[in-house]
Amino acid sequence: MCNTIKFSLPGELDTGALISELAAHYSIKKDPVDNRSILIYDTFDWRLFKKSFVLYKSGDKLFLRQLNENEILHRASIKSMPAFIWEFPDGLLKEKLAPILEARILLKLVELEIRSTSYRILNHHEKTVARIAHEEICSSPDNNSPPPSSQLCIYPVRGYLKYSRKIVKLFEERGLQTSKKDDIYFSWLEAAGKKPGSYSTKIDILLTHDMRSDEAAKAVFYFLLRIIRINGENIEKDLDTEFIHDFRVAVRRTCTALGQIKYVFPEEETERFKKDFSSLGKLTGELRDLDIYLLNENIYKEKLSPALRKNINPLFILLKKKRSDALHKVIQGLKSKKYETMLGDWKTFLNKSRNESPEPPNAGCPAIMMARTRIYKKYRGVIKAGYLALGDANDKKLHELRIHCKKLRYLMEFFSSLFPPDKINVLIDQLKKLQDNLGGYNDLCVQEEYLLTITNELSGTGLHLKRTLIAIGSLVETLGRARQSLKDDFTEIFTGFASPENKKIFRELFYNDQQRTVNENTGGLQ
Amino acid sequence: MKILAVYSNKGGVGKTATAVNLSYLAAQTGSRTLLCDLDPQGSATYYFRVKPKLKSGAKGFIKGGRRTYKSLKGTDYENLDILPADFSLRKLEISFNEMKRPKKRLKEILSVFSHDYDLIVLDCPVSISILAENIFNAVDYILVPLIPTTLSVLTHKQLLSFCKNKQYDTEKIHTFFSMVDRHKKMHKQYIIKVAKSFSGVLDASIPYLAQIEKMGIHREPVSVFSPGSAASEAYRNLWNKVQKIMI
Repeated sequence: MCNTIKFSLPGELDTGALISELAAHYSIKKDPVDNRSILIYDTFDWRLFKKSFVLYKSGDKLFLRQLNENEILHRASIKSMPAFIWEFPDGLLKEKLAPILEARILLKLVELEIRSTSYRILNHHEKTVARIAHEEICSSPDNNSPPPSSQLCIYPVRGYLKYSRKIVKLFEERGLQTSKKDDIYFSWLEAAGKKPGSYSTKIDILLTHDMRSDEAAKAVFYFLLRIIRINGENIEKDLDTEFIHDFRVAVRRTCTALGQIKYVFPEEETERFKKDFSSLGKLTGELRDLDIYLLNENIYKEKLSPALRKNINPLFILLKKKRSDALHKVIQGLKSKKYETMLGDWKTFLNKSRNESPEPPNAGCPAIMMARTRIYKKYRGVIKAGYLALGDANDKKLHELRIHCKKLRYLMEFFSSLFPPDKINVLIDQLKKLQDNLGGYNDLCVQEEYLLTITNELSGTGLHLKRTLIAIGSLVETLGRARQSLKDDFTEIFTGFASPENKKIFRELFYNDQQRTVNENTGGLQ
Repeated sequence: MKILAVYSNKGGVGKTATAVNLSYLAAQTGSRTLLCDLDPQGSATYYFRVKPKLKSGAKGFIKGGRRTYKSLKGTDYENLDILPADFSLRKLEISFNEMKRPKKRLKEILSVFSHDYDLIVLDCPVSISILAENIFNAVDYILVPLIPTTLSVLTHKQLLSFCKNKQYDTEKIHTFFSMVDRHKKMHKQYIIKVAKSFSGVLDASIPYLAQIEKMGIHREPVSVFSPGSAASEAYRNLWNKVQKIMI
């Protein structure tokens, strides 16, 4: 349980001779040669890599370590490789990974074959006081790999560190160099054609203040189009529920950008693509909703009294069936010529150089001005809608406020690179709290209504059906209580967001003195 | 982190052999395991070929804190460390008595390891006074080896009565039969009788076998030097049962 020291070995080095030399100083025992495979895993969106973790399987055990560190943080015995977090055995590894992996599937990134020859250094009690392993890392049959490499690892034993220190010194005197930083993870992933962190849905676009607004908008659209493409290709495989989620978020962001970054493209084309992307949202809506119900299955069941839990199973059987139909519908839609043409047209539109005459009114407007004007206006929209909801928090007003918030959030994310990160991120975090409250409330409204509607579709008769209906009724009641609790929290959360301190930062970041002039001149930034 | 004490208020019942073999088997499953040898005789420490010495002795040990780490030793096995015994631990009872919160010191001492280990196994010396109370306060499970004889059963009754009087949770106490001689009629009879009269009796027993005594010669857990033996199988079975109560 101490840090391993690794030495990279030059090809010409005779490890046998090195070990013989050690034998002159220490009593050494050679262990049987160990051949093992190591399989490295991560999610599609590199959640573990982004947290600097490496998860790998060796034999019937899973190990978690920090990148560039050798110490194992957590380990677990497994019977078969878990695909999702809920398939992990209970324990510290599961606890650590649960908030990171959430609903994402683990995918195998690369497989290594390691042949390890180990030697134990013994003291006069024949107690192991250090271990040395000569590890030869070879390619596994099914992936490209860099040339076989080998390393000499010293595994210190706790309480006997002086022995490993002496061995390190001896190796260094023989010209060997420790390989401290180059984590083998990178070279093997590179060889397998994988680039760690290459996929992320977080808007990461570098805009400049004086960039034209139409160019800034295109940069946002290119980024989102890539996300739509990647996820669209993976939805059919149905590996996990997050491909459809990421797809939908990118589609929604595209719709918002088309509607909110106003008058930078010709109106006719803007309207056409708004309609197209909106239809994609509608196509995938049911599937996402059903995913949420199914992901929440255990949470729903926990909300019910133990006596009712079994009775609600027919509902989930029906939801699974409906999900399968909904997935089929989405796959057909994404395979259709209409979808291909639409994305093709969209790409052609984005690639098209400017030649409209007259130019759309805000196309040449500096990105910073567009960003400030739109964000500040949307912020004021949120505050206005929020105060209306405070007066009378009915579902319609809360829904309208939620939509305003969503648009504001997307706008702030699109243009975040134009503003100081410490300030804009604080505001985004504050907005997120409000969105969580409103989003949670809306989800519960939708779920209650859906559960009541779906009762018509439940099959079965007599006592079984009655019991299922009682369980659904009980669930709806529990959801209703949770919804009311969110509503009770709303006033405090909104008041926090609308605080004078936040208002000051919003004004400082997004209000510009030229706003009125720009609005009058362009006629479009209102 | 879970803490399991292998404890008995009677000597010579196979506590150390149990603690050594169970901690080895736990480490083999991937749990980061620490064996604490609280017995000044240091037999568990001897089995792992480690020198029975704590940095700063028992005095340093009871002060607790990060300094306790300096005394830890890695064993020959992956995931298994040992906090060695020290002859000065014979004064542990007196030292605890001289401190504030004398019955909860061990719990505080062990709490520093909570992030580094999944399981701590305590090899406890015979005691039914303040050290025993420290153990009862510190651990999640108490595993008591029971020889199926009159005196052993009587001592176990004493333990249960002591725990009830002092209001310790007797649910933590699990027993198994140790040093069982299948040829002895009395052992057989007691096993049936005791299993009915005590709760928490595990369906596992360790036979009286020469292989277990040979641990002293090999200085290794049974499963290392004789993996296919009946003794090894018996400890594996016991470990399986212990794992079930720890889930």
